Amino acid sequence: MTRLRLALSRAALLAAVLLAWDLLPRWEVINPALLPPFGEVMSALWTLLQRPKVHDAIAVTSAEVLVAFIIAIPLGTLLGVLIAEKPYLGAVFKPLLFYVFSIPKSIFLPMFILVFGITFAQKVAYAAFTTTFVVLMSATACVESVKNEYIEVARSYGATRRQLILRVYIPSMLPMLLETIRISMIFNFTGVMIAEMYASRTGIGHLIGSWGENFQMPQLFAGIVLLSAIAILFNESVRWLEERCSNWRT
Amino acid sequence: MQQLADLGDTSGSKPGAIEVRDLSHVYDGVNGQVKALEDISMHVAPGKFTVIVGPSGCGKTSLLMMMAGLRAQTSGELLCHGAPIPQPDPKRVGVVFQEASLYPWLTAVQNVEFPLSLRNDPKTERRERALQMLALVGLEGFADRYPHELSGGMKQRVSIARGLVQDPPVLLMDEPFAALDEQTRMTMGHELLRIWSTTSKTVVFITHSLTEAVYLADEVLVMSARPGRIIDRIAIDLPRPRTYEMMATDKFGGLRERIWQQIRSAH
Repeated sequence: MTRLRLALSRAALLAAVLLAWDLLPRWEVINPALLPPFGEVMSALWTLLQRPKVHDAIAVTSAEVLVAFIIAIPLGTLLGVLIAEKPYLGAVFKPLLFYVFSIPKSIFLPMFILVFGITFAQKVAYAAFTTTFVVLMSATACVESVKNEYIEVARSYGATRRQLILRVYIPSMLPMLLETIRISMIFNFTGVMIAEMYASRTGIGHLIGSWGENFQMPQLFAGIVLLSAIAILFNESVRWLEERCSNWRT
Repeated sequence: MQQLADLGDTSGSKPGAIEVRDLSHVYDGVNGQVKALEDISMHVAPGKFTVIVGPSGCGKTSLLMMMAGLRAQTSGELLCHGAPIPQPDPKRVGVVFQEASLYPWLTAVQNVEFPLSLRNDPKTERRERALQMLALVGLEGFADRYPHELSGGMKQRVSIARGLVQDPPVLLMDEPFAALDEQTRMTMGHELLRIWSTTSKTVVFITHSLTEAVYLADEVLVMSARPGRIIDRIAIDLPRPRTYEMMATDKFGGLRERIWQQIRSAH
């Protein structure tokens, strides 16, 4: 199948889904009170995007996502690299980390509320907590994925430690690092959303929660569409970058 | 190096000579100490092609790594032109590893340049030298290909070019053709001898293939199973340049047989 045909087929699929979303509620095949037509959702979205209150919510959520990310990535990377580089630490910590990793982090949310109250810090701390684990596990895998032969070769040519890191480790890990960033952002975003929906007075997650409670369905779906658009945009950008850096991967 | 001259031993200080004296190596294994190498003594004369054969696990790779400065022995002396080699010294010793050692994110020429780029040589000189080496191994025209676009034999040629790029007097090769099929191996062995004959390098080559050993070597050192000891030194006095036809001669077969006998008896 040629690329053009593939692209057209995909566009047709999307159009069909959106069309169904618009028509089926209008024809009352699906209850429009539960699923408003796509057109209505779009106009609700347009209205919402004009409101300062919504702008504030977007700003708050974005800030939480960014700050949590900026904390989690370096922290998780540092710990992950340490565990990979020091075999003894790795042997001691790994089993514990695996156990904690398997616990759904959302059950810790009430704890964070108790410690931080319902604040910006609470959401950031919770999201950072969740994301750090993901980054940690990925970073460890990243470092361990650098083949020993690559290191021996560089060492045999007299590479210094700095050169090893810059010229061997990082290029070798780059595709996996980008994947880590992409996946941990998904977890990060989810973490912020859960915290905002569960207990918050600000943020998009809170708005979505309250629209849901008040049965304001067009607004609810508008919020979902907005967030989805942002998440997809970020994900695809990083994936594009990943692909560009991975042309040598088999 | 001064002390060695005083001892009256000058052969070890000639460029490209390797001297090993009573080298032993012990390491901590899972069930206690393991003696990997025992009282290895050998002398590799400059410009000679020496092949080491031995059963798996006999420590020949460890010995090679010590010659490369990548590992340290627990006792005994190892000298390369009269001086010990406690850490890698690419000016003295070049190493060619097995196949999977080209950096996949670099092109062929960038891979060959790699050792030079660690030293911060000027870019144009680096590239020129790297291209020269690629031409030497018969890969001009493939400079900008990535490793995944090259066949096994071609990848190994790039690896050899990389080992030669800094023109070290000694070249260590650890089963470089092990991952190749038999026909490619034979071609590569022949190629290697051609390249070697244009230089005066000392080569220490490890292989499992007895045929390869006899075909390539001036001298074959046979090692025993762990703890590795040198159990025989066999001079290969076949004329050079070596030809494929020699492989069918009785002399070739006899040498090969002798090596095989030694390895079997050492178990």
